[in-house]
Amino acid sequence: MNKIYTLLLAALSLSGCKYHDRDRWNPAFDGTAYRPVYMSEEEVSNITFHAGEKLVEPGKIYLLEPFLFINEKGRGIHIIDNSDPGNPENISFISIPGNYDMAAKGNWLYADNYTDLLAFDISNPREVRLAKRVSDAVPVRDFPPHNEIYFECPDPSKGTIVAWEKVDMSVKPKCWR
Amino acid sequence: MKKTLKLLFVLLVALTGCEADKSGTVDPQSGKGGSMARFAITGNSLYIVDDQSLHSYDISAPDNPQKSGSKSLGIGIETIFPYQNNLFIGAQDGMYIFNNADPSNPQLISKYQHVQSCDPVVVQDNYAYVTLRGGSTCRNGATTNSSLDVVDLSDLANPKILHTQNMLTPYGLGVSGKLLFVCDGTHGLKTFNIQNPQLPVFLSQNTSVDAYDVIVRNSRSLILIGKKGLYQFSFNEDKGDLTLLSQIPVQ
Repeated sequence: MNKIYTLLLAALSLSGCKYHDRDRWNPAFDGTAYRPVYMSEEEVSNITFHAGEKLVEPGKIYLLEPFLFINEKGRGIHIIDNSDPGNPENISFISIPGNYDMAAKGNWLYADNYTDLLAFDISNPREVRLAKRVSDAVPVRDFPPHNEIYFECPDPSKGTIVAWEKVDMSVKPKCWR
Repeated sequence: MKKTLKLLFVLLVALTGCEADKSGTVDPQSGKGGSMARFAITGNSLYIVDDQSLHSYDISAPDNPQKSGSKSLGIGIETIFPYQNNLFIGAQDGMYIFNNADPSNPQLISKYQHVQSCDPVVVQDNYAYVTLRGGSTCRNGATTNSSLDVVDLSDLANPKILHTQNMLTPYGLGVSGKLLFVCDGTHGLKTFNIQNPQLPVFLSQNTSVDAYDVIVRNSRSLILIGKKGLYQFSFNEDKGDLTLLSQIPVQ
């Protein structure tokens, strides 16, 4: 019987699909829990265009000759003119909240903006233009990226969840995974 | 027994619970991502993997991506690497191989199962090179071991492990002809000879960089990203020697 419980727990912790608000098989509560950090719709979808900016916390890279795109984790995309790999030129920055990924083809750059997919016209990489927003294209999990923890249940009316912070809580929240 | 069945049922429900659907269109390659990518374009399809699913978008009208399909995979999906007519998807419990002849509805061919870890993949000819990174940032820290695996893809329906060797903290990787480049985090960039594609032989290590992901630009140069910034190197295909071309340091 114990074996089955272990199996079940394993299955629950493996299934990132859902979180739980029932009170069975839940983990021990240690007085800490995760709280969602919300951002308003306007802030989330505020895309702005800038001249080249410094790299601070670079993430992924994508190459579409002669341009190289460097993700700035959670903040946007640097566009580099890499015509001369010995002397790459940092030409512009697209500020995209919640951006980590991108891909490009021809004159078009696709990027994530939290849950949305954006299409940019990069025919002139110094004058990038946002052409299209596809809402909820990249479903993001509405629970913290941790297991065997408690968290404040998400409230969509408060905006988009952009992060989770670990805080002390005197009362055990309903949600856990 | 009844209780057991009930529990098994709950287990099944817990394991499913994601959704799926279908439809769309296709063609050749465009830009090139690193092996850590969650976005990939082949032909007129943009693929996006989220934690659990593979989504397809038709971009034949490039300024107006249309969702053409979505497939529920499992959990802990991390990377997508398109190669020829297939998509190789790195998940925390294995590598999924899809045929994308119908880009709107990629068909699962097989899954190469491995221990719980973080694992980008690159492919060349009949071989996939996969790094498995253990440790606490990966699911449950189920494993602390990290490795570089070589998987035989000559029968896509039946991928087989050929070789494994220990790594420290491997992230992205890149392959070019006789050379395999592996980003080993703070341990730098490691270069392997894969003249025998089944057995990567360690050649050298560049510890001056913190290596997260790499794109092999052509058979002579590569682009590397890490905590300290962007680096470009030219390399000698026979010996694997790297020569720094340029860098854009973080500030």
